[in-house]
Amino acid sequence: MLFDLAMDRPVATTWMPPRACEDYWSEFRHCKSFMNRFHQYYAYGSVPSCHQWKEDYNNCREWKKSRSTETQEALQRSERKRVAEQKNFDPVWELRCEPPKDWHLPLNQDNTQDS
Amino acid sequence: MNQKKTEEEYGYDLFPERNEGKQNTTSFKESIQTFNHKCKFMLQVAMETSPYAKLLLTAMKSSGCKVLKERHFSCEDCDGTVSGGFDAASSQIVLCQNNIHQQSHMNRVVAHELIHAFDHCRAHVDWFNNFRHLACSEIRAANLSGDCSFVSEVSRFNFGLKKHQQECVRGRALRSILAVRKITREEAERMVDSVFDSCFNDHAPFGRIPHGKKDAKFAHRDYTNRDHYYKNL
Repeated sequence: MLFDLAMDRPVATTWMPPRACEDYWSEFRHCKSFMNRFHQYYAYGSVPSCHQWKEDYNNCREWKKSRSTETQEALQRSERKRVAEQKNFDPVWELRCEPPKDWHLPLNQDNTQDS
Repeated sequence: MNQKKTEEEYGYDLFPERNEGKQNTTSFKESIQTFNHKCKFMLQVAMETSPYAKLLLTAMKSSGCKVLKERHFSCEDCDGTVSGGFDAASSQIVLCQNNIHQQSHMNRVVAHELIHAFDHCRAHVDWFNNFRHLACSEIRAANLSGDCSFVSEVSRFNFGLKKHQQECVRGRALRSILAVRKITREEAERMVDSVFDSCFNDHAPFGRIPHGKKDAKFAHRDYTNRDHYYKNL
């Protein structure tokens, strides 16, 4: 909870589920579809478990009704886990802080062959 | 640096029109003009309708590398069977107008090359001197562009099922490296193996391996929503 120091009363935080509830449902349906299961087997050699999407959908709907902290925390835990899974590799290269300087240069001006 | 040696070392000999300094000039031969027009038309369709291309273009714009069709794409004649390439020196994607004849193929090539461009935009990729970097971008491009979809593989008469995507990605990355660099097959295989696990699992900007248009559309939806998503994590 944030406190408005000037007014000395709590200001409601504006947390919302990271995805729209319908998005959780559409991800669940997509996950369970034959084509997706086929493609997961083709890529990874195993069939995906989809129950987490359904759980997230239920928590999302419940949060909309009750605004409970349990459902909020459950959703946050689930999504943080998803983000961690996507980052679960050692990068091969260093990320840039800025885009390459010559991206927008007109042609014939950046062919320096210095690289 | 010896010009000819540079050309062969970095695969520029596959793209002869680059060396002659031709840029979007129309040729006298009608057939080449037709190929050029068709290539430009199919490129426009890909940029407007392919969910893979649309997500990559959005991601590149957000990363500070807005893609301009006239500046960053070039339809040219190429040698052999190569379909396209990314030239980091000029920040251009080359599309081989003489080797791309179907819209679905154009969509895949555009996605593939945009992945290289996206890697160039967001990371310090040493295209010319670091084979691990090159291997990594080729693994990602083969994995995320649809190059290794089940349907694409079947159309090449490569029939495989369990984990076949990984075999395909490995093989195509290897082929791409060998086409543009003078190294032995064994050396290229070692490079690919050394970075495979990392790069096969790097799905940026998709957040997943897009196996078809629906995956790509969901990925685009997630990308569009990312500010709200991370704010509420």
